[in-house]
Amino acid sequence: MKRSNVLSSRAMRRVPTYVLLIVVSLLFIGPVLWMVSGSFKSIGEILQYPPKLLPEVFRWENYAQVFTLQPFAQQFLNSVILMVLICVLTLVLAIPSGYALARVRPAGAAFIFLILLSGVFIPPEAVIIPLFQTAAQLGWVDTFYPLVIFTSVLSTGPVAMFIMRQAFLTLPAEFEEAATIDGASRTRTMVQIFLPLVRPSIASAVVFTAWFSWNQFLEPLVYLRSQAMLSVPVALTLFEDALAGPRWNVQMAATTLSVLPVLIVFLLAQKHVVSGLTAGGLKS
Amino acid sequence: MTSLQAAETSAPGSLRAPRRGRNRQSALHAGRNLFGYTLLAPQTLGMIVVGLVAVGGVVQLSLTRVNVLAGTREFVGLENYARIFSDPNMAVVLSNTFFFVVVLSIGGTVLALALALLLNQKLPGINIFRAAIFIPALVTTVAWTLVWSFILQPGGLLDGIVGLVGAGPFPWLRGGWLTLGVFAVIQLTKNVGINMMIFLAALQAVPQELIDASHVDGAGPWTRFRHVILPQISSAVIMVFMLMVSGSFKVFELVLLLTNGGPGVQTSVLAFEIFRQAFRLNDIGYASALSVFLFALVIGLIGLIWQFRKRMVFHEAE
Repeated sequence: MKRSNVLSSRAMRRVPTYVLLIVVSLLFIGPVLWMVSGSFKSIGEILQYPPKLLPEVFRWENYAQVFTLQPFAQQFLNSVILMVLICVLTLVLAIPSGYALARVRPAGAAFIFLILLSGVFIPPEAVIIPLFQTAAQLGWVDTFYPLVIFTSVLSTGPVAMFIMRQAFLTLPAEFEEAATIDGASRTRTMVQIFLPLVRPSIASAVVFTAWFSWNQFLEPLVYLRSQAMLSVPVALTLFEDALAGPRWNVQMAATTLSVLPVLIVFLLAQKHVVSGLTAGGLKS
Repeated sequence: MTSLQAAETSAPGSLRAPRRGRNRQSALHAGRNLFGYTLLAPQTLGMIVVGLVAVGGVVQLSLTRVNVLAGTREFVGLENYARIFSDPNMAVVLSNTFFFVVVLSIGGTVLALALALLLNQKLPGINIFRAAIFIPALVTTVAWTLVWSFILQPGGLLDGIVGLVGAGPFPWLRGGWLTLGVFAVIQLTKNVGINMMIFLAALQAVPQELIDASHVDGAGPWTRFRHVILPQISSAVIMVFMLMVSGSFKVFELVLLLTNGGPGVQTSVLAFEIFRQAFRLNDIGYASALSVFLFALVIGLIGLIWQFRKRMVFHEAE
C-alpha cells in the first residue's frame, strides 16, 4: 500500500517532465513528420487553409513523380558514389598520416600536424572561387574530381586525421615493442597490430566523412552542371514549376526519400553515428 | 617520444656494444623518419598544393579586377577591400552576419547545454527523446531548409498554428527582424543535437562524488550547476562555443533557398554575398576580397576565444 503510493507519487512528479520532453521533441521531430505527411498529400490539400495534419488519401504517385520529373535515381546514385569516393580518399590520406603523427613521429611531426590541421579553419565558402577557377582550367567542371579531391584534402581529411591520431595515441607502446621483438616490420606492425585496434575510430571517421559529403551543397552547386550529374541536395531544390512555384508534395516526397536511408543507418548504428558526428563536430 | 626511445635503447645489442649501438640507433632514426615521411607525404603534399592554390589564389584574385567576358585581369591593389567599407549594402550584410554569429554561438551553446541537462536524467524512454532531438542533425541542411520553407509558406503549418490563437498570418520570409529570427531558429534546431550529445558525454563524466558532496553540503540546484558542474564541463563548453562561432558563418543554404538574400540585401550574409558576387554577378575580384575578409574574421574570432580559453577553463582534460 505504502509502496504503491510512493511509486504513484513518483510517477506523478514525472508527468511535467514528460510533457516538457514531448513538447521539446516535437519542435525537432515535428518538421520531419510534417514533411512525410506533406509528401502524401494532393496539391489541393497542401494549399488548403487551415492545413490538415494528415492526408485524406495516401498518394503514392507523388513518389513516382519524383522519378519522372528528374533522373532522381541517377542523382541519388551520384550522391552515393561521391560519398564512397570521398570516404575512400579521406581514409587513404588520413589513416597513414594519423598513424605517423601518433606513433612514428618523424622529426618535425608537430609542425606537419599544424599544417594538416589548418584545413579545419579554412571556411569552404572563402576558397570556392580560386578552386572553381582551377577546376575550370583543368577541365574538371561538371565532373566529380573537384568534389572528391578538394573536399577530401581540405575538409574531411584534416578532421579524419585528427580522429585517427587521437585513436592511435591512446594505444600502449608495448604492442610496438612486442611486435619489433617478434621481428615484425614497421608496415606489418601498423597494418596487423594497430589498425584492427582502432576500428571504432575508423567507423567514426567514416560516419563523419559520409555525413559531410552527403550534406554538401555549395560545392556541387558550383561544380556540377548537367542534370544527370547533380547530387541529391542540389536536385532537391529543382522540383519547381517555372510558373506555379514549388511542387510541394513531390518536393517533400523527394526530401523524404533523401532522409530515409540516413535514418535507417542511424537506427542500425546509433553509437557509431553519434560518436562520428560529435568527433567531427569540428567541421560541422 | 620517451617510451619510443626507451624501446630502442633496450633493443638487443645496444647495451653490449655502445658504439655499434649508436650507429644502429641513428640508422633506426633515419629509417623511422623515412617511414614517417612516406606515410605523411600524400596528405601533406595534397594539403600544401590545394591550400596554396586556394588561399594564395583568393588573396591574389582579391587584388585584381577580373573581366570574365574579355578574360582579362588587372591589378588594382586594395581597391576591392576599400569597396567593402564604402558599399552601403555591406553594412546590412555585415550586421546580419554578426547577428547570426552572436545569436547562434551564444544561443546554440546555451540551448545545447539546457537540452543536455534536461536529457541527462535516468527516465524510462529517455533515449527516444535524445534520438528525436538528434534527428535534424542527420537531415541534410537543404532538406531541413526545404521542409521549413514548406512550413513557412503563406497559409502553411505555422500560419495555421498561430491562427489557432487568432494571430497572424505573419510575413515570415519577407525581411526584417522576423525573418532573421526565423533563420536563427531553423539553423539552431538543425545541429543542436550534436552539441547536446557532446555536453551529455561531458555531464556523464562529472564524478558522482562531487555531486553527492554538494548534496551533503546543502547546495541548491543552481549553486550545484554553477559551482560544481559547470567548472567540470568548462572545456566542453568552450569547444562547443568555438564550433558554433565558426559554424555561424555558414548560414548559406537558408539564405539562398528561402529569400535569396532579399528583399534587396536585407536578409543576406557574408557567405551568400561571396556566392552572389562571384557566381551571379561575375565580380570575381570583389567576391575574393569578401572571401579574404571572411577568412580573417573566422581566424580572428577563433584566435580570440582560444586566448580566453586559457583563463576560463578550470579543468583541462589533457
